[in-house]
Amino acid sequence: MRDAKNSFLSRRALLKTLGAASGSLAVSRWMGSGMAVAQEPAAEKAVESFTGPGANPHWNSVGPYITEPQKAPLLLLTDRPVQIETPRHYFSTAFTPNAAFYVRWHLDGVPNSVDLKEWRLRIEGNVGKAQAFSLSELMEKFKAVSIAAVNQCSGNSRSKFQPRVPGGQWGNGAMGNAMWTGVRLRELLDAAGVKAGSAQVQFQGLETGSGPKDMGSGRFMKSLDLANPVLDECIVAYSMNGEPLPMLNGFPVRLVVPGYFATYWMKCLSWIRVLEATDENFWMKPAYRIPDTPRGDTTPADVKAGKVNMIPINKMPVRSFLISPDGASKIPAGMAVTLRGIAFSGYGRVERVDISEDGGKSWLSAKLGEDHGPYSFRTWEAAWTPRLAGRHSIAVRATDEKGNTQPDEPVWNPGGYLWNRIEKQELVAGIAG
Amino acid sequence: MQRKTRVPVLVSVFCTVLMLAAASVYAELQKGHYQSAALGQSQQAGLSESLPDAEYGGSAYPLYPPELAAGEGKAEVEGYCSVCHSTRYITMQPPLPAAAWEAEVTKMKKALGATIPNEATAKIIGYLQTHYTPETRKE
Repeated sequence: MRDAKNSFLSRRALLKTLGAASGSLAVSRWMGSGMAVAQEPAAEKAVESFTGPGANPHWNSVGPYITEPQKAPLLLLTDRPVQIETPRHYFSTAFTPNAAFYVRWHLDGVPNSVDLKEWRLRIEGNVGKAQAFSLSELMEKFKAVSIAAVNQCSGNSRSKFQPRVPGGQWGNGAMGNAMWTGVRLRELLDAAGVKAGSAQVQFQGLETGSGPKDMGSGRFMKSLDLANPVLDECIVAYSMNGEPLPMLNGFPVRLVVPGYFATYWMKCLSWIRVLEATDENFWMKPAYRIPDTPRGDTTPADVKAGKVNMIPINKMPVRSFLISPDGASKIPAGMAVTLRGIAFSGYGRVERVDISEDGGKSWLSAKLGEDHGPYSFRTWEAAWTPRLAGRHSIAVRATDEKGNTQPDEPVWNPGGYLWNRIEKQELVAGIAG
Repeated sequence: MQRKTRVPVLVSVFCTVLMLAAASVYAELQKGHYQSAALGQSQQAGLSESLPDAEYGGSAYPLYPPELAAGEGKAEVEGYCSVCHSTRYITMQPPLPAAAWEAEVTKMKKALGATIPNEATAKIIGYLQTHYTPETRKE
């Protein structure tokens, strides 16, 4: 590496001398074409194995690439249970490929296989008549509906928090968008008949843990209020982007809760249980709770003083990302490039994406891509030309139809949830000749 | 008269030297710079065989055990923490303050139900505080 650097410098010195001495147009032109393709060799350098106590400066988390069954090489957070993150470049399209879709399990008993002769989706609890459906019954007895919806881990971007908080140290890649196809949750509840006086509906999948059966380390369950209007939009999906779900993303069916964080999107969903009281199992309380404050923002001091009222996490705040260029390539000054990325909001359709090259003093509108519905990624693009060589910073900001927009301030809460600060990307422009 | 013939000769000699120098630069910039690399290498995964029956999936999930720092309490960490999760849960974290590590271990026991004897608990907390705080973490 040192040799390469030295020889590069000496080449530069030589070229400078030649350039000054030469009056020959032909020679300098010919040399010019040699320079245009000349680049410093890529560094043989791995990203650091951990970041902190400062914020993770990278777009993704810092783990190595690993390959899980049915998956492309993705970024390892943990191996047991499995948590793997989607690399940045997979977000250049509105739909995230199944093989690249991030994975987050809570307990180490992640199902390896499912026998569909045995498997049933059960609707039970405070219902008139408990039901059990095979996958073939779900596909044949109920109308198939499709919805494009973003699935984002509650802790996506947790590694950006200051001070850092424990938990999965995700970069920005704990999210994905898919076209989900399945059965309306309402139809399944109606088939069983929810009894009057019910409070919540609880979801449980096939994962189990090695701890006590009645505690958080033994089983994972999530619940939603029966009065929550999102239940009308939920589907029990057996298809993801027109394919069966990968095991690690919840085969044979998973719950889709449009606009909500992924903690409710139960994988390998097998029990839908109507409850008479509010669910207070570990994964509903104290886990996955956010401060009842604007943006879910608070301080370590207020948490310690017991001043913060915590509520279950729910909808995803508006976010946007620049996907390319990603800073890996130097851009010749004066060259027009296309900035591309995605945006989404759990509160409704993204209506605007703006770009700033002056640190947020002025903003220009990006062009939005195809509208796949209010809960989907929306692609965007904008032309940008770095006029001068130097370090440029591009900021991206989305606004949804409810008028929610991204602030430039960080957020902090003890769970490491709800990060949606304006993203910035440094792009280096070089001298073009 | 003499001058007039000499100048073009000198110019053409000078240009030839420049061309040769530039050609060597061009060659050096253009061609064949490689260096040995281990980064990003991994085996390509093959497809597992499927039968037309009711069984789906079936592959084992790969384990990637991390190098934990050597020291007092490491055996307890590997023994008790690994009951429920791999020790990558430790190395994945940013360096955490001593109090945060104590709170994590307490959460595992009280809220999540891990059964760890008190003596081992103290050793586990001590180990994490010795090797994985902002002041102490090495890798």
